Amino acid sequence: MTIKIWKFFDREELYECYQCARCTGSCPAMEVTAALGPRGTILKCLNLGHEAVVQDEKVWFCCTCNVCDDRCPQQIPISDLLVALRNSAARRGNVPGRLLLSLELLAKTGRTMIVHQLDEMRAHHGLAPLPPAPVDEVRAILKRAGLEEVLDF
Amino acid sequence: MSEKTLPKAPRPQMNDLRIGVYVCHCGKNISGTVRCEEVARYAQGLPGVVLARDSLYTCSEPGQEQIKGDIKAHDLNRVVVASCTPRLHEPTFRAACESAGLNPYLLEMANIREHCSWVHLHDKDAATEKAKDLVAMAVSRAGRLAPQTEVTVSVMRKAMVIGGGVAGIQAALDLADAGYKVYLVERSGSIGGRMAQIDKTFPTMDCSICILAPKMSEAGRHPNIELLTLSEVTGVQGHIGNFHVRVLKKARYVTSECTSCADCISVCPQLAPDEFNAGLSIRRGIYIPFAQAVPSTFMIDMNICLNNQGIVACDRCFQACSKKCIDFADRDQELILDVGTIVVATGVDVYDPTSLTELGYGKFPNVITTLEFERLINAGGPSSGELIRPSDRERPKRVAFLQCIGSRSKRSNPYCSNVCCMNTIKDALLIKEHWPDTEITVYYVDIRAFGKGFEDLFQRARREGVTFIRGIPGEIIEDLATDDLTLLGENTLLGTPYRSTVDMVILSVGIKPRQDSELLQRLLNLATDTDGFYMEAHPKLKPVDTTTGGVFIAGAAEGPKDIKDSVTQASAAASRANILMSKGEVKIPAITAGIDPDKCTACGLCARVCPYHAIVGGKEEGLYRVIAAACQGCGACVPECRFGAIDQTHFTESQIVEQIDAALAGDPHKKILAFACNWCSYAGADFAGVSRIQYPHNVRIIRTMCSARVSPAWIERAFTKGAGAVLVSGCHPADCHYNNANQNTARRVERFWRRMEKLGINRDRLRLAWISAAEGAQFAKVIREMEAGLKTIKPAEIENAAKKLFREANKKSDAT
Ligand SMILES: Cc1cc2nc3c(=O)[nH]c(=O)nc-3n(C[C@H](O)[C@H](O)[C@H](O)COP(=O)(O)OP(=O)(O)OC[C@H]3O[C@@H](n4cnc5c(N)ncnc54)[C@H](O)[C@@H]3O)c2cc1C
Ligand code: SF4
Ligand code: SF4
Ligand code: SF4
Ligand code: SF4
Repeated sequence: MTIKIWKFFDREELYECYQCARCTGSCPAMEVTAALGPRGTILKCLNLGHEAVVQDEKVWFCCTCNVCDDRCPQQIPISDLLVALRNSAARRGNVPGRLLLSLELLAKTGRTMIVHQLDEMRAHHGLAPLPPAPVDEVRAILKRAGLEEVLDF
Repeated sequence: MSEKTLPKAPRPQMNDLRIGVYVCHCGKNISGTVRCEEVARYAQGLPGVVLARDSLYTCSEPGQEQIKGDIKAHDLNRVVVASCTPRLHEPTFRAACESAGLNPYLLEMANIREHCSWVHLHDKDAATEKAKDLVAMAVSRAGRLAPQTEVTVSVMRKAMVIGGGVAGIQAALDLADAGYKVYLVERSGSIGGRMAQIDKTFPTMDCSICILAPKMSEAGRHPNIELLTLSEVTGVQGHIGNFHVRVLKKARYVTSECTSCADCISVCPQLAPDEFNAGLSIRRGIYIPFAQAVPSTFMIDMNICLNNQGIVACDRCFQACSKKCIDFADRDQELILDVGTIVVATGVDVYDPTSLTELGYGKFPNVITTLEFERLINAGGPSSGELIRPSDRERPKRVAFLQCIGSRSKRSNPYCSNVCCMNTIKDALLIKEHWPDTEITVYYVDIRAFGKGFEDLFQRARREGVTFIRGIPGEIIEDLATDDLTLLGENTLLGTPYRSTVDMVILSVGIKPRQDSELLQRLLNLATDTDGFYMEAHPKLKPVDTTTGGVFIAGAAEGPKDIKDSVTQASAAASRANILMSKGEVKIPAITAGIDPDKCTACGLCARVCPYHAIVGGKEEGLYRVIAAACQGCGACVPECRFGAIDQTHFTESQIVEQIDAALAGDPHKKILAFACNWCSYAGADFAGVSRIQYPHNVRIIRTMCSARVSPAWIERAFTKGAGAVLVSGCHPADCHYNNANQNTARRVERFWRRMEKLGINRDRLRLAWISAAEGAQFAKVIREMEAGLKTIKPAEIENAAKKLFREANKKSDAT
């Protein structure tokens, strides 16, 4: 059985995990929410298949700090796996609403947040308004990254 | 083609040859696929064959009697048995020949079971044709076989044991009790090894030094044992039965009259960390490693002694010593010792967890290792057996053990260290025994309690309240005010995170090969496994032999193991050495190399590739020669000689060339000629057979002892004869049974590839593959891939390439 998570992960890279949990023990996301647990994610990939994992919101909690990669005795590229899982999840429509909102905004305005308030604040401090965002370039990048498969923009 | 490029020694007179061929049915194992009667009829027509039979079970008593009877009745001078792999029954049929008065080296076998009937189950015609080829190859080779006598070398009745841990002590005592003189060479100031450092031993919880000390003193006073401490092996020459070992015995500066009164200690101004106490205490410049040390003689550490500049700047210890046994003039000595056998028992180092920075070892005082714990809890240790934590010397109330530190990890050692699970359980119980109110938590991944009495001890620890949590902490945080430690991790069985604070953390560190184990490996021509431990000759059936004759291994140097297993192995190694020495002589298989003095130009190339330093000589002598007793018969040297001066007994050039020619006699374009080494790849092909893995039938396998025997001239011959493809296969690089001789294989094949490229020949037709004895599936896969490749090549291309190679070879030989 090969787990097809986007194209670049297969079982061979994961089976060496023997569930020591050093990754979860080092994971800062776990401090915020006990739910992520890279160890548990890998186990689910191995035992239940990756489809079961990409339905789960938890894959979005990883902050890609790479500490788990550093400490994993088996040198499993855990944070790469989580990125791949998020890609796969996104293609299946599993994207947290707020993230989707930011993406939409990014595609439309070239920024991840609304900035007129910011401009007012800047004016108040005597700063020039922000330069216009390079919307076309940002859109081109998003296209290259395949965002169209996830979002109409 | 001219005789110049395809040379052939004159064949023995055909009418002198009287070959008997026996085609075995092996019940239905062979005859179920191969038409054995047809093969026998075919054999009958081969040159030199006077009789060919098929029989139900050739290896049975009646089968062997038949052969013996025929040898006598028909005056057979060669026997060919077509049956199972020679790795199984060659000894059987050799013995049958010998008992009928035929030299055992005049037997040849054709492997028509593992390499034919079992791997072509569904194609009876092809299997039968292949069996005929294999028989023809064997008959051709048989014509070139010569009788051999195995050389006998004497074995000196003295032994050396290197390493004085519990394994070395046991091996030395066994050999000494059996009546042999034994040199016990120990690097440190005392024998005892790791076991002397341990407080109690699992699973029985015996006091370690209490059971070891009597053995140590017995070894110290045994009349047959010469104890050489502060000594190391620096050179080894010779071979099985007759080793000349150079030993450097370092100066002790204290004579054996020392009564270990310790009057000298307190006067010495110099200090150093005490190695025996894992650096947890300090010792003086003059010291004894530990109270029970054998020999019980003090020693001076010249690295720190004030007299280390060669002048006497301090003589306080000398003055304090009433027996005046301190001798600053003592010097290192070099000894040459002659022995017949050697046992290597150099033990293990302990993993240093400093590099795992997330655990804080070396930074946080209250994180210690299990080895340090052994010394802490020992009555003779730095705290006189009181459990204290280093930061404030208080007794810890909450203790955590972390398992698999430095083991089972690609970041350190990939293997399981075998002893640390039980060691932790033992340590936890020791704490509970003395201070029952201590909270103990063991963070683990798997508990490996596999030995006798181990599970019992594990259950006992749980009963006594030790908590086991599955999940190793990812990080340890130190509280700067209290020096307490907080562990962050996940309880994987509950699926919940934990954050627990303890007073002390004990890292259950793994064990690893001695840092300098490579030195002995080189001196004794040992092999090491991928983890760096010394490798046994066979993992199941020769567990204490090494690939060097007369050298044995015991204890943790062979792989992580506990005391009981170390002692068991030590006795086994001593017994194996004893067998050699009590016989007093050994027979060397007649497969050694020989150099023709008339052809040798003393260029010395062969000596450089011999992995056993078995080729000696030089320009001054005008030639090189092979020391038969040291030669292991890999054949690596033969292809190296540009003057054709070397040949290997029983694997001669002419024998193999006969096999190549016979294999390619019909339909060469369609065939894959495979060279396979005896130990790995040939065995791997056997394993494919045993596993009934099916692969294309057009492969013909020729066995050599080592892939390094495969001569580029053979590859050339195969291609000029029109072979479709050639496979050269051997053990994986680190597993070579001849000390990495197969690096020559790789070098020669690469060279041949370059030659093919230059000539515009498709280099994919020559393949190099490393296939182990366990990789039957891999062997089949390689053949399948080669067959697929062969399908894309047109006969004209093969013809063309043969001509190019032929022409080039001709040009070359014209030039010389
Ligand atoms: C912390 C710890 C706790 C353990 N607890 C237990 C236990 O409770 N029960 C149990 O059964 N096992 C235990 N073990 C395992 C046990 O220590 C080993 O099984 C045993 O020591 C192996 O004995 P050995 O003679 O092979 O090697 P060692 O004890 O390592 O002895 C090897 C000797 O060879 C010497 N030497 C090394 N290189 C050379 C050289 N080149 N030339 C000359 N001399 C050399 C060394 O100085 C040493 O004296 C423990 C191990 C550790 C690390
Ligand atoms: S640290 Fe590595 S081996 Fe351990 S559970 Fe995480 S991924 Fe698996
Ligand atoms: S001579 Fe060396 S060993 Fe002796 S007391 Fe002085 S420093 Fe110590
Ligand atoms: S013995 Fe136990 S602690 Fe040691 S490496 Fe093996 S599993 Fe880990
Ligand atoms: S290279 Fe091999 S065959 Fe040649 S002398 Fe050395 S051990 Fe013997």
